[in-house]
Amino acid sequence: MIGKAWDFPVIPGTKSIASADEDSITMGVEAGLDCLTGIDPKSIDGLFFATTTQVYTEKDSASLVATVLDLREDIITSDFTDSLKSGTTAITRAVDTIKANKDIKSILVIASDTRVPEPSTMWEYGFSDGAAAFLIADEETIPVSIDDYYSVSANVIGPWKRTGKDKFIRTFEVKMDAKFYIENLTKVMSELLKRNDLQPEDIGGAAYYYNNPRLHGRIAKTMKFGQGVAQNSVWFQLGDLGTPMSFLLLIAALRRPKPDAKIILAGYGDGADGILLQIRDKAKLKEIGKDRMGIAAHQKTMITLKNYNWYLENKELLEKDRYDRKSSAVLIWRDTDSVYKMYGIKCKECGTVQYPCNFRSCYKCRADDQFEKVKLALKGTIFTYTLDHLVGGAYLDTPVPRCVIDLDGGGRILLNMTEIQNPEENVKIGMRVELTFRKAHESANFVNYYWKCRPERGRK
Amino acid sequence: MGRKGIANKVAVIGCDSSKYGELFDKSQYDLLFESTHGALKDAGIVKDDIDAAWVGIFYYFTGLSGSTVEDILRLDGKPVTRTENFCASGMDAFRNACFGVASGAYDVVLACGVEKLTDEGSSRLPGFKLFGHPVLPMPSAPAMFSMAATRCFHEFGWTKEDLARVAVKNHSNGAKHPKAHFRSEISIEQAVRAPMIADPLGRFDCCAMSDGAASLILTSVENAPSYAHADDYVVVKSNAIANYTNFPWYVPPGAVGSDFTYFPATVKAREMAYKEAGITNPRQQIDLAEVHDCFTITELINCQDLQFCDRGKAAEELKNGTFNWDGETAVNPSGGLKSFGHPIGSTGCRMLQEVTKQIQGRAEGRQVPDAKIGLGHNLGGAFSVCSVSILGQSD
Repeated sequence: MIGKAWDFPVIPGTKSIASADEDSITMGVEAGLDCLTGIDPKSIDGLFFATTTQVYTEKDSASLVATVLDLREDIITSDFTDSLKSGTTAITRAVDTIKANKDIKSILVIASDTRVPEPSTMWEYGFSDGAAAFLIADEETIPVSIDDYYSVSANVIGPWKRTGKDKFIRTFEVKMDAKFYIENLTKVMSELLKRNDLQPEDIGGAAYYYNNPRLHGRIAKTMKFGQGVAQNSVWFQLGDLGTPMSFLLLIAALRRPKPDAKIILAGYGDGADGILLQIRDKAKLKEIGKDRMGIAAHQKTMITLKNYNWYLENKELLEKDRYDRKSSAVLIWRDTDSVYKMYGIKCKECGTVQYPCNFRSCYKCRADDQFEKVKLALKGTIFTYTLDHLVGGAYLDTPVPRCVIDLDGGGRILLNMTEIQNPEENVKIGMRVELTFRKAHESANFVNYYWKCRPERGRK
Repeated sequence: MGRKGIANKVAVIGCDSSKYGELFDKSQYDLLFESTHGALKDAGIVKDDIDAAWVGIFYYFTGLSGSTVEDILRLDGKPVTRTENFCASGMDAFRNACFGVASGAYDVVLACGVEKLTDEGSSRLPGFKLFGHPVLPMPSAPAMFSMAATRCFHEFGWTKEDLARVAVKNHSNGAKHPKAHFRSEISIEQAVRAPMIADPLGRFDCCAMSDGAASLILTSVENAPSYAHADDYVVVKSNAIANYTNFPWYVPPGAVGSDFTYFPATVKAREMAYKEAGITNPRQQIDLAEVHDCFTITELINCQDLQFCDRGKAAEELKNGTFNWDGETAVNPSGGLKSFGHPIGSTGCRMLQEVTKQIQGRAEGRQVPDAKIGLGHNLGGAFSVCSVSILGQSD
């Protein structure tokens, strides 16, 4: 499609693009939800968020993601940003923080990026969107251990993006970029082997960032990794995901590991991080993978873009007036429990669960002030719906299904549906849906997020 | 304690409406001026005979406060109240005006309504972004009502054709009315094939954007014989209004209004209004009804909620002609919101001036034969508020 749009030589493969209602925060939430499957969010002691595509430059993402994931308030949160290696850097800092503090036992590390390439450049073939998360914790039962890490810092010449001035990344000389990339990555990985008395053949998997399949091969060769050790499954299928790239490669490497395998995770960007991991319990690792959507289940839900213009419009690369809604940061803050954390209220008199939390009198038995807050399920069944052809004056991606949903365990809610193909045929009363956190609109220069629903994908 | 009502205390002694439509050359001032002076003339009085007024206006841009009426009529300090109750704003103005008379506080009052929608552009209801919450979804009016349509299709087996028959009937009635916005007949096929607005509601299932005003002059039943319509003034048998949630999509299963196949506000207002007016068999006793057909689905549900037919049977009864202008219970002989138009704040008053003229045997469009008792039904918001008024001949 890109080749066709610009009459470029065609390169095979696919890449993943975020929907118009997604950004690094919403994708981070999605990865966090999948990672925390079966884990009480209140048991997590910290959240590190790594991205080069910050939604705000002043106002962090980690605290918002932690709120939406319903983590406690007495936790540590931090953003790691401005470098493509900030994901691996966040992991190393999480390890240090947990080691140094007896009160901090677990930190959720999320890497998420939505790097938009400049249209009509070769970057369009690579740059893609994605997110991934790891829960780092100090527990003997965890199936993978982090045994060592080694980092280098380097003031390389490119690429860069100036604050407030560059919409797309710039670079001076891609051959120089490649030189820095190879030097730094091989340095950290070689040093990691040396420090731990390991030979390249001792490594069962290597998950290192790459933005070019040719350079990936050169590193594998330089490092003398064995056949199939260096994970290269991502680029041709999902593209160059940026910060979460090495995370996804690691997840791929953990899918079918050899028992007791040692794995290297490495990130690059103004220096590099190399992290040495050790498989402790293969069976348990497999079990963890089973409960989560992981890469494969998400990949299955990818929808082919209709055409290149659709992409331009959804990434707002075309200048035009867009529909404005009411915005109020105060209201969003006051209604955080309802709109971010997806809490409802349960009547102590009649037991009916309802939404949102603002109400003081029961819809069913009309008892006053008898509510307690309850966490609502992020899944439900459509009770009724309409397919709205005139949503906010939009003519792309319409009709938008607006669905009245009965959530599992109680609570009725109205949500727009996202990522649905042929809604006329596919949306039905009784249809199962999942809730997904999305961007609603950006009126008043504030990003307003809310939940939508989508056809059930299997998130547990 | 409880509801005493105002049955047989208040009389309509004059009424009128403006022409409805896309009236780009007229302002809200022109429209309300025309309908009110028409009503005054009909009653044989002058503006200084009015002691107080209530005006139904929904949108702030049509006019804020009762002083909007002062600026149109120059009533020299007379009390005027603006009522806002979504699309039932007009009939709520009428209800409050009735109380003004029934309480003995005033001799002659004006109940009126006006809306000037097309000044804000004619493509959709304006200003929705100003309402409600920044992120909790606020569906458009067609989207709200189509969620009920989806549910009725599921429960009753209704189809797009069943909806289309409402539009076909109302267009046919409106075609005969000189003041209606749309004055052409349509076919079922045309309606079914029209572009979709909010599935399953298409363009012909939705009322359009119209401008208009309507006015009624009220006095006590005792005083009514001393005005122009001494022999055929119309008596207010009852009026009732009921409010439920603005957010029916949050009503949990099992609670009132959670099933989307009836409108609890209509049911509640109907119960009150029928009791007050002594209506026990609406299908036989009520000769005509101007009901709120903002969307075709709404009219079908209204006919059931008002007990003109059994639950689930409205589509079949419509097909059989029960609701035709010469049928058992004439529904929207004026053309309804669908064809006559729906300038929001005016609609309730427009319905009641229509019902008044039908009972007096001087309807401007289709005259329902031998009309003695008529009903007005105004529904607003997300089926949140409903007003039902019953008018009848004087004894």
